[in-house]
Amino acid sequence: MCGWDQILSDLDRGKIDIGLNGYEYTPQRARKYRASIPYYIYELALCARGDAKSIASWSSLREPSADGRRKRIGVLGGSAADRYVTAEFGTTCDVSRWEGVVETFPLVDSGRLDATVQDLPALEFYLRQLKRYPKLKIVDQPVQPGYYVAYARWSDDSLIQEINAAIRTLYEKGTLRRIYEKHGLWNASQERLPEVWKNWPPPDNFQQMGVMDQVWLEVPLFFRAAGVTVLLAFLSMPTAVALGLAAALIRAWPTRVLGGDGSTATPIGKIARGVTTTYIEIIRGTPLAFQLFVVYFVLPDLGVTISAFWSGVLALAVNYSAYEAEIMRLGIQSVPVGQMEAALSLGMSRVLAVRRIILPQAIRTVIPATANDFIALFKDTAVCSVIAVEELSKQYAVAAKSTGLYLQMAVLASLLYLAMSYPLSLLAAWLERRLNRENSQ
Amino acid sequence: MLKGVNLRVERGTVGVLIGPSGSGKSTVLRCVNGLDPFQEGEIAVGAARLTPGLSNARSRQLEQLRGCVGTVFQQFNLFPHLSALENVIEAPIHVLGKSREVAMSEASALLDRVRLADRLSAMPHQLSGGQQQRVAVARALAMKPDVLLFDEPTSALDPKMTGEVLSVIADLAKSGQTMLVVTHAMSFARKVATEVHVMFDGVIVESGKPAQVFDSSNHPATRELLASVDPV
Repeated sequence: MCGWDQILSDLDRGKIDIGLNGYEYTPQRARKYRASIPYYIYELALCARGDAKSIASWSSLREPSADGRRKRIGVLGGSAADRYVTAEFGTTCDVSRWEGVVETFPLVDSGRLDATVQDLPALEFYLRQLKRYPKLKIVDQPVQPGYYVAYARWSDDSLIQEINAAIRTLYEKGTLRRIYEKHGLWNASQERLPEVWKNWPPPDNFQQMGVMDQVWLEVPLFFRAAGVTVLLAFLSMPTAVALGLAAALIRAWPTRVLGGDGSTATPIGKIARGVTTTYIEIIRGTPLAFQLFVVYFVLPDLGVTISAFWSGVLALAVNYSAYEAEIMRLGIQSVPVGQMEAALSLGMSRVLAVRRIILPQAIRTVIPATANDFIALFKDTAVCSVIAVEELSKQYAVAAKSTGLYLQMAVLASLLYLAMSYPLSLLAAWLERRLNRENSQ
Repeated sequence: MLKGVNLRVERGTVGVLIGPSGSGKSTVLRCVNGLDPFQEGEIAVGAARLTPGLSNARSRQLEQLRGCVGTVFQQFNLFPHLSALENVIEAPIHVLGKSREVAMSEASALLDRVRLADRLSAMPHQLSGGQQQRVAVARALAMKPDVLLFDEPTSALDPKMTGEVLSVIADLAKSGQTMLVVTHAMSFARKVATEVHVMFDGVIVESGKPAQVFDSSNHPATRELLASVDPV
């Protein structure tokens, strides 16, 4: 078992011998793998809520929605639907690429996506089998006929011949039709199969661009995705630090460093500290990816619906705030108690002393640790790809799968990641040196 | 810690507290500036009063009290992220609300008085212990306190630096600043103190003029203390 988009690379690795899972015939794939004759003719269909007046036809995708924003269309990342929608509507719509087909249905149902485009057989299967979404309907006519084929490794030509023979036999005997009818997949288009086989394989007019040309084409998209990564990091880290500082102050408030008398008397104080400690333990004890899913998929059930990008910012901020809280608390407690005593004896209030004397010292102590966490956060933005945020890792996955140039795209993505995090490493090292100079007598 | 202390320091005089470690000398100071709580009795400085316990009234009392009491600590406790000048102007600006210009000119005068006019922009870690302690004295003086408390001001300094700090304190005494000094420096106490108080085990066992306490005391605790301490 593997992700749908892993099948071809598993074929390469010898983990499987035949890829048979609704894989469309494309000239690029046919150059790398042996393709059988088609066993199914598919079309792409548009699916939206029946009551969504703004999605009445394919052409309506070119118009903005009622509140002026671009329409959001969910597709299976790397599929024919992805290629079609990106080519036809990529400039007028936001294409949201998912790892599976099923994720898009609840999102269209709840309105977070305007529509989804899928292969017709898959769409009919899911709508009919998963009666969970009665509001979803197929809109307008299906388009862009294509072919599902089986793939095998290039060297397994005889295997493909056997598969071809099997497909023909199944069709002639009527078994193929019976199987499709049983699952509600048979339609008039399938009767054109023999005709398609006669002219198979189709002529390869596909102009293969040179590798460097293909890479060059992806570069702007990569830069845009890197920009998303930078935005995610620069929005979530300061929030994480602010939340962490608040949590640390709450927890350390009774300590002598902050002018407390060491007792934990007031009930409000006890509750606040208990809540804060629980928060920190829960956040540190659960994975970031899990928290991301909760923010994006579960919060709407509680009435809070946030877009994918901002869900990413929120999840990253909350996750890192738990670690920053502990770092800040230790930083605060490393300030000598005499500092607060001197401040108080000069007539400063506790709050003034914390603000002007204690925190500046605590923050200077924790800057190296926090800077290192920022570098880690930069990498962790990749986790946001699971909710279809088009950051750098997602862009790599999409580009690598559609061009097949896994190595070149990886190099491009790595270069951009390093270009972003290396300056941060240098900055962190400089800060650490500067603080050490200040502290040494 | 303290088992009943009655202490009076007249305005314009210097009271010196001496005694072995653990006798409660520092605790007395820390009760006077509100850093340590006490259970019975009362602190009175000018018109300010501090009563026992931890009530809401206490924080208002503390505010008033700390406005007229300044403290110089054994470990200096300078703010390491601020320069010498900035250390001195911090409280006048943010507690007394003085303007930066006024605060800076007053601070320069004070740092000049403690003979650090050439080190205004130095950071604490660039100063010697003796210089840091003198900045601490200037910082406390900037708030124009009625009383200055010194908690073993030279115990963390080597003999050379001890001398420069003690001479600053002696100058302050001559100018009429009311002070209460906890110290081990006996010859300094002899020269500068108006009255010397000997503490032992949480109580004051003897009080009197320096000559009387140092030269002609009959109290066993005092004699034991004087015999064991290095003369400075």
